[in-house]
Amino acid sequence: MKATRSRVVVTVLGSLLVLASVLAPAAGGLSAAAQGEAQPGPYEDPAAVLEAVLDNLRGGPLRGTYTFLVERPGRATEYVMEFVTDGEERGLIRIIAPPREAGQAFLMDGDDLWLYNARLGRSLRLPPSGRSSAFLGSDVSYNDIVGRDMEKDYTVAFAVPGATQTAGAAGDTIDTIVLELTPRQGAPTPYGRVIISIEAATLTPQWLDYYDQRGRVVKRLVLSEYLESAGRRVPQLMVVEDRTREGYRTVVRLADVQMGAAVPGSCFTLQALERGCP
Amino acid sequence: MTETTRPLAPPPAAPLARLAWRNLWRHRQRTILLLVVVAYVTFLTIVYWSFVDGYGESVVESYARYIASPVRIAADAWYEDPDPENHLGDLAFVEELAGASGVREASLRIHFPALLQSAYVTQGVEVVGVDPAAERALSRIPAKVAQGRWLAGPGEVILGDEVARRIDARIGEQVVVSAASLAGPQAMGLRVAGIARTGVAAVDQTAVIVHLEDARRLTGVPTATTVDLDVVRGTEAAVAQRVQALLPAGVSARGVWELVGPIKTDVEANRVFAHVLAVVVYAFAALAVASTVFVSVMERTRELGVIAALGVAPRRLGVLVTLEALFTCVLGWVGGLGLGYAAAWFLATYNILGPVFGAVSAGVPTAGLSEEVYGAVRAAYAAYSGLVIAVAVVFSALVPGRRAARLQPATAMRAD
Repeated sequence: MKATRSRVVVTVLGSLLVLASVLAPAAGGLSAAAQGEAQPGPYEDPAAVLEAVLDNLRGGPLRGTYTFLVERPGRATEYVMEFVTDGEERGLIRIIAPPREAGQAFLMDGDDLWLYNARLGRSLRLPPSGRSSAFLGSDVSYNDIVGRDMEKDYTVAFAVPGATQTAGAAGDTIDTIVLELTPRQGAPTPYGRVIISIEAATLTPQWLDYYDQRGRVVKRLVLSEYLESAGRRVPQLMVVEDRTREGYRTVVRLADVQMGAAVPGSCFTLQALERGCP
Repeated sequence: MTETTRPLAPPPAAPLARLAWRNLWRHRQRTILLLVVVAYVTFLTIVYWSFVDGYGESVVESYARYIASPVRIAADAWYEDPDPENHLGDLAFVEELAGASGVREASLRIHFPALLQSAYVTQGVEVVGVDPAAERALSRIPAKVAQGRWLAGPGEVILGDEVARRIDARIGEQVVVSAASLAGPQAMGLRVAGIARTGVAAVDQTAVIVHLEDARRLTGVPTATTVDLDVVRGTEAAVAQRVQALLPAGVSARGVWELVGPIKTDVEANRVFAHVLAVVVYAFAALAVASTVFVSVMERTRELGVIAALGVAPRRLGVLVTLEALFTCVLGWVGGLGLGYAAAWFLATYNILGPVFGAVSAGVPTAGLSEEVYGAVRAAYAAYSGLVIAVAVVFSALVPGRRAARLQPATAMRAD
């Protein structure tokens, strides 16, 4: 029955989904803002800063391998997956490990999300809530960094005017911009606000804090180990921490990155979802 | 010269009845005892059926006002597969419904599966999009909003008490409802306007109610999946049949009794069992009355012997005993009727039984049981209890009456 299928889709969505981190690093590099050096502050338009950050995150065509280490109290699960993206709104992920999940694939094309279950031999279309749902039971979701949802769903302002100086990873001092994002009326987001800390020189995000509607941080993303190539910056390490539950964390590592790889459009079709990208 | 002794003519019936009536008050204690037994049996019979019928009606009424509706109109395909794709093609017939006899209100609804997301939890839910104003007449849920208020317009959502607790959502906070239907993947942020606490597990654990316009945006359904009618209780089947003539092909109206699904089987099975149990109870009740009369006859052996010696034929003694039992039973029955119907009215007016079923409701969430369970009041209960008493009187005639009819006056007068 169709209603039954819809419910299966919804149920599957609730436990699976999303790619975010895949496209996030895929985004690493790219667009006009990423051509050459990032423009230092001071910035007067927070929306322009956010746009530049997102432009910087969305990379050009990219292939690589992701490793998700999903940590839970007393156990940890590792997923390995191949991904390919056009650096815009399309991406394809195929899980290659562990064996019980191997063969599953996810296709993202704008607002459309598809899941392919190799055991069933069927593809399912998933609702947009997948963009903010947990991917493979991890703490990572598509909306964590990727796509333009932040521009659509939030109004942005400087949490602190101008740039401030903070300690860098190398022990130096770097200029940091802090943005505060507040949900627009009716936007499909359950968060009360999002705070983004951005390295001013390169417009790459250092960390993001997601707040609930009671002023508490419920999730934190920390991006680091940026791989720089031809003006693009791809974070090779992303740590997502569930701040509501002790011991819940996901560590995402990027490897075998091929920037500027040839990515034909046929990679983002239902046929490619089921058979693979040529 | 001797005169032939002719037996005295039997006394006419009226004096026998007067004698029986006087005998009742000559043995006041015995009479009162039998009166109490009969009144109690009558009272119990009425209360029993008040509960049985009231329980079944309460379940169906609760189902109609909390989960479904008294009368539902939907596409035949939707009844088979309640997917938004099987929505009503057009709503032109709704205007005609307003003039249909028995229809008090018609309310549009859209039912669809969705994901409900808070900042902490995501879960699958069944959402209902409603017209807030019309829903007040049709459903009891608007009156059961325990926190916040009922829907005032688009952009809001009402959650069941348990739903809100599970996703940890509070009044004024925003949650995300996502669906994928005719309009493709859609998602909306909705503010929690109210939290309903109905006492019906099926509602408190699953209710997610949005404005009809939001439901249309989320699903792409331009009309509705169902049109639900508010009608007087007890007229659901008749109104459904009546409005069917106004509906286009492929669309059906069904009364709540057709919508309750497996609950109908349970209610009907309970009723059959109630009848079986009632017969057993009736039999014991009749035996109790007859045995009381029997003991009375046993204790009055000498008295009956004197009466026989005074000229009442033995056969008439049997009639006398039966009349005494009849008078006592009728008095007790009338008294029991008064008490029984008073209790039934009380149960039908005040929610005495509801809290008793609170625990049962939680254990059977799909049953539609609520914390409101009322008794029923029907004239037929007088007939049920009267039947019991009639059987008791018959037993009295068969056993104690026949014993009295076979009394030997001389032997009886010597009894202790």
